[in-house]
Amino acid sequence: MSAGLLIRLDGPVTYALPVHALTVLAVLLGLTCTLVVASLMAGSYPLEATEVVMTLAGRAPSDMAQTVVWQFRFPRALAALAAGALLALSGATLQNVTRNPLADPSLVGVSQGAGLAVVAAMVAWPELPQAMRPVLAFGGALAVAALIQGIAMRRSGGATMRFILTGIGVAAFVSALTSAFLTYGQIDRALSALGWLAGSVHAAGWGEVAVLGGALLCLAPALVMASRPMAAMRMGPEMAVGLGLRVGRTRMALITLSVALAAAAVAMVGPIGFVGLVAPHLAHRLARCGVGLHLALSAATGALLVGAADLAGRLAFAPVQIPAGLVTALIGVPLFVWLLLRTQARASL
Amino acid sequence: MTASSFRPARRPGFAPLLALVVLALAFAWHVSVGARTIPLPVVAEALLSYDASVFEHVVIVDLRLPRALLAAMVGAALAVSGALMQGVTRNPLADPGILGLLIGASFAVVLVVGVFDLAAPALIPLVAALGAVIAAMAVWGIAAAAPGGAMPLTLVLSGAAVTAFLAALVTIANLLDEQSFEQLRVWMTGSLAGAQGGVMLWALPWLCCGLVVALAIARQVTALAMGEETATGLGLNVGRVKALALFAVVALTAATVAMAGPMGFVGLVVPHVVRLFAGQDYRQIVPWSALAGAGYLLVVDVAARMVLAPVEISTGLVTALLGAPIFVWLVRARL
Repeated sequence: MSAGLLIRLDGPVTYALPVHALTVLAVLLGLTCTLVVASLMAGSYPLEATEVVMTLAGRAPSDMAQTVVWQFRFPRALAALAAGALLALSGATLQNVTRNPLADPSLVGVSQGAGLAVVAAMVAWPELPQAMRPVLAFGGALAVAALIQGIAMRRSGGATMRFILTGIGVAAFVSALTSAFLTYGQIDRALSALGWLAGSVHAAGWGEVAVLGGALLCLAPALVMASRPMAAMRMGPEMAVGLGLRVGRTRMALITLSVALAAAAVAMVGPIGFVGLVAPHLAHRLARCGVGLHLALSAATGALLVGAADLAGRLAFAPVQIPAGLVTALIGVPLFVWLLLRTQARASL
Repeated sequence: MTASSFRPARRPGFAPLLALVVLALAFAWHVSVGARTIPLPVVAEALLSYDASVFEHVVIVDLRLPRALLAAMVGAALAVSGALMQGVTRNPLADPGILGLLIGASFAVVLVVGVFDLAAPALIPLVAALGAVIAAMAVWGIAAAAPGGAMPLTLVLSGAAVTAFLAALVTIANLLDEQSFEQLRVWMTGSLAGAQGGVMLWALPWLCCGLVVALAIARQVTALAMGEETATGLGLNVGRVKALALFAVVALTAATVAMAGPMGFVGLVVPHVVRLFAGQDYRQIVPWSALAGAGYLLVVDVAARMVLAPVEISTGLVTALLGAPIFVWLVRARL
């Protein structure tokens, strides 16, 4: 918060306006708008930028443009943005709570837990309405998160790498269970579950957008409220206790929040990996700022990332569509390695 | 560890004999169960006096026996390569799957078979070996460059990173060519069902080479497991032992991937169980791991076929379901 503009209010109150971070946020939002227009233009039925803008404004140049934009490309782009924002917020929260820069919902098995619950439901009760999926995903993700917590946290306080290693083991177990469900289930149901599991927004329509946007709107206020305790947690458990925080309870609440964010995204578009890892770090490098603004920056970065990944996966090998989750994995792994090379791994664990 | 580890190898008593009997029983059980259970006397009859006109004999010799042999070989190879990795890297969490060798070998095979359309059985083990070496080097290089060096933690994390990256590439390659995807999908989960005689024949020399080298360097690995300084002090050429161990591990892993696809956690579980009774001497651990790994995979494969019968689960899924909890337990207990 060093490079801020000091605003003096009446009396002894001053507030440092983080100009740099706000500028970065504005630039990110501008880029996101550009990306949306670009992804509405590109595809097997190409459109001009002016056509796209006119269609969005309600004056479509042709019926075809109207259908392509409003039925297919626009909901898909919005779903990608919302899912990216949710996953980035989930990762940022998890990293703040565990004080572990490598924490990511897809690495520690939270996404896989949500995936297992949804795949089990898709295979066993296919008539289940789609609206139930976020609830199931939340249940599965929360169960896995609680399991990892229970195993990893009992010794040595938990703010350690043990959490990640336990998560990797649990993720392997849960993925194997999911694959077993897929082999056991009927082939047509299994295939639809398989497409969903790769983490793809290609089937997203307005229903998905509504759920994702609703989750974002419901959980964002909770995050705003949580940003203060999160800032205290980031300084370590001793400091947080010193600041008057009930650490155990806060940790549980924040992890539940993080799980809910990831579960909403996973339920709608499948497990898109490494966004929760990449976006908060990029945001951190773009601008140093307080926890609240960092969350906003992470969300914008995550939205931009998944939107771009979806666009790239759509165009790279057209007509074959590469799911966005694979593109984000290819981007995310090198960054993960780079972080690994920089993070001081504690030999004592 | 004390000097007692370097006593001359214990005189073999009943134990190896007993183990062989147990292994033979597991083998016979594996052969006898299936879609149609064939009683053990008929199994023995089919092996001793084969009669091509008897349906059960044909089933046993043509279908069940190759699969049982495959399970035993793959189990033995994976367990031995896991044991060597754990000894050389001094890392209780080492396993060809966790440290990225399996996915490296699979990626190379998918690339060559799917993209370049070269499916010669002679080539596949070689390709798998190349992939495994490159992945192992990448994982080791990343971990060694990280602060703190190649500790268990950094090794596992860099293995997870390399695995995620290559798995995404494998999925993309499969999406781009759906026809070969159909052929490779079952193989990619680690299955003993689709073994082809040609590949098995060509993978066998790799497997034997790997096992022989592993047995030959077992004594040196025991020293290396006590730390590099100690090993050097004992007059060991550390670089040479490590290179030989890498060769053995890669040859064994490549052979199993070529025959059965990536099968996770076998190399992690078996050596740890073996250490409970065989101690810390790799002259004991390596042969016992081979025996125990063979028996373990035979039993696991029976379970994979029986649990949801008539549907068959991929054996690699069952090994992961059994192995992942042990991984978590090891993280809790050993780190």
